[in-house]
Amino acid sequence: MTDIDDNELIARVAQSDERAFLVLYDRYASRVHALTLRILRDPMQAEEATQDAFFKLWNHASQYLAERGNLLVWLLTIARRTALDRLRLESRRPVINDADRPEDILQSIPDFHTLPEESRWRSLHFSVQSLQPNQRQVIELAYYQGLSQSEIADVLGWPLGTVKTRLRAAMEYLRHEWIEK
Amino acid sequence: MSHDEHTPFRENIPAYALGALDAQDAAALESHLQTCASCRTDLAGYRAVGDHLLTALPPRNPPAALRRRLQSRLPSAQKAIRPRLNWSISRVAVGAMFTLLLALNVNSVLQVSALQLQQAELTRQIQTSQTVLALLSYPNTQNLPIHANDANVAGTLLLDMDRNIATLIVWNMPQLQEDQTYQIWLIDPHGNRTNAGIFRPDLGQPFTTASILSTGNLSDYIGIGVTVEPTGGSDQPTGPRIVSVDF
Repeated sequence: MTDIDDNELIARVAQSDERAFLVLYDRYASRVHALTLRILRDPMQAEEATQDAFFKLWNHASQYLAERGNLLVWLLTIARRTALDRLRLESRRPVINDADRPEDILQSIPDFHTLPEESRWRSLHFSVQSLQPNQRQVIELAYYQGLSQSEIADVLGWPLGTVKTRLRAAMEYLRHEWIEK
Repeated sequence: MSHDEHTPFRENIPAYALGALDAQDAAALESHLQTCASCRTDLAGYRAVGDHLLTALPPRNPPAALRRRLQSRLPSAQKAIRPRLNWSISRVAVGAMFTLLLALNVNSVLQVSALQLQQAELTRQIQTSQTVLALLSYPNTQNLPIHANDANVAGTLLLDMDRNIATLIVWNMPQLQEDQTYQIWLIDPHGNRTNAGIFRPDLGQPFTTASILSTGNLSDYIGIGVTVEPTGGSDQPTGPRIVSVDF
């Protein structure tokens, strides 16, 4: 079953096929957990959010529409909202640091060779890393911490206009790297 | 729409795509997007950036225990935990057993109560018999015949005026209905009736003995009567008289 594509698997999950669900879990748990951990920065909370995200996948599999985007993005969107909801529920202030410390990443990255999309995420990841640090910080707070531009300005103590400019510049760069190239 | 009019909206599209635009600006942009195809195209491009950001993180394996927890909450695992359901059934069975035991216990208590009543009745009969024997052996005891309309009914009233004791011994008293009792009345010279006790025929014996209960002197009365009354007795005779004795 491990060689079945995502669309077939999610169709089976919609029919309450638990084996298909676990195949999807094995395939994407590390991606979901990376995101929830990045947002929540607490291993226990991240585990719970990852579990919640997969249960939402199990319960709402029939709502997935392949033409609206690929399954991984759909699942990660669910996971992001789930984690951000937890973050807002706790009203935790964002942690401002660079989460991508190489030593942490190397310890936790699964076997690269088992990930068909390894080269793809690696490319995306290094695009983000190549942003200017202040632009990366804005992207981090906006997307992975769910803050608005005004909130980012408050947190960083920057003028709102500066936040807007840096966010816009970062998004322009990523769009150029990922979409237009 | 001119380029200048587009600019403020277009500048906000990247932040909107990330969900970072403040509410007021977001509402204005959403209104603009409804009429501007060019900006909607821009938005689609920036949303794709957001999707890429989702997948741009280095994978992090969750603990293996998470998979086990997840699996344990799937329907098949829940079915496997049916022992819980069986446990519930067991609890129902235990509950039913307790109920049964309680019912048996209540039944036992009722049987004990019935036995106690029978024992009390036997004690009463023994005491009455002893009284009868004592009266019979006492030289001043009067042995008065009873009068009854039913020829089958016969008997004696043993009366000791000195000790204010009297016992009625009657053969072949008719059986009563469940809600009836015999009531003894002491009759004074003016015809007034005073309650002197109730009794039912002794089961399994051809004769019935009943003590006359009097708070006054038996010598103040001229005789007794026995009537059929509702269970518990009456204040005054209401039923037919079955037996009478003249002192």
